[in-house]
Amino acid sequence: MMSLHDDRWKPRLLECEIPASNPKSLQISKPKKVNLRPHFLLLKFAFLPGFKYPVAKTGLPLWMLGLDADRLRADLNRLLAFLFHQGILDEQYLQLQQLQDESSPNFVSEVVNIYFHESEKLLRNLRSLLMDREFSDYDKMGIHLNQFIGSSSSIGAKRVRNVCVAFRAASDQNNRAGCLRALELLEHEYCILKNKLHELFQIEQQRLLAAGVRYPMLN
Amino acid sequence: MAPTLPSGDQASDQDNWDNGRLARKRQLLTEIVLRNRLTALVVDGDTTCRVLEQLLLRSYGVQTQGVDNGRDAVALIASGVKFNLIIIDMILPVLNGLEATRQIRDMGVHCKMLGVTACSGESERQAFLAAGVDVFIEKPLDPEHLVPILRELDGQ
Repeated sequence: MMSLHDDRWKPRLLECEIPASNPKSLQISKPKKVNLRPHFLLLKFAFLPGFKYPVAKTGLPLWMLGLDADRLRADLNRLLAFLFHQGILDEQYLQLQQLQDESSPNFVSEVVNIYFHESEKLLRNLRSLLMDREFSDYDKMGIHLNQFIGSSSSIGAKRVRNVCVAFRAASDQNNRAGCLRALELLEHEYCILKNKLHELFQIEQQRLLAAGVRYPMLN
Repeated sequence: MAPTLPSGDQASDQDNWDNGRLARKRQLLTEIVLRNRLTALVVDGDTTCRVLEQLLLRSYGVQTQGVDNGRDAVALIASGVKFNLIIIDMILPVLNGLEATRQIRDMGVHCKMLGVTACSGESERQAFLAAGVDVFIEKPLDPEHLVPILRELDGQ
């Protein structure tokens, strides 16, 4: 059984135990090649007096903004690779992504937001139980932890799940000090997970916006 | 050597990867077509798990209903609603999963019951099977366990 003092709890680069993910499941599929020839042809006339060419606020032609989508896709893949490599997420997260489609394009972020909402309630309950000087209801704590383990497993939050398992072990032994240490660690790991997933969703949103301007409306 | 995950700069190498396990899971997720209209009841006190389990079932075309405690599950079955499959968590508010399973079986319900739980000990497994579930699964519910059950229910 892993002790809470075990160095293995310290964040470190983990060997990737996850089998090589099908890259297509991690990668966002490349957008179709866009025929930029018409845009280049229009550039011939761009220097004629009075010629109006759609430009963004930056002054760049709108079609050039689409190149950001590729950069953002690379950023997204790098972040996902990092999260897997660090053990913050596991392959269950990929299963979540596979359930997302055109009919439910925000499915993953919606489910994760449900998870955040429920998890924060659980963390408050756990802290409230442990802060009570008269606390002795380890069964109730065990129920909260089972719920946290189940939901974390379901979205692929591997490190949070592992901390909850150690927390539950301390609770099963009625070890209050151990539970307090575990709670600190759990809050820390949860914070990391939440920040990283928010970052992931932000990049995804930016990528979708950038991909959306690849096809400018021309007069 | 275990293959490593791609960085964003190695996009061109990814088509050369071979991941048997994840490819198999993806296959399971996408390659089942149910001939019959199946229905399932998901009983889970945790919203995240319940939503995900229902969505996973719906992705296979299973019509689902969800309740968040054992008492409501028993009441729903007692009202005469029939399901091909019941997925039930062990730890539930109001009425726990073990007792809810016993009461459902005592009503003469013989549909497939899948017990899911975050507790994976042998004693929990034995207790849940003794209460009346047919299959015991540690969370998360995944296609590897679910698809063979759906195929069996569909008569494939």
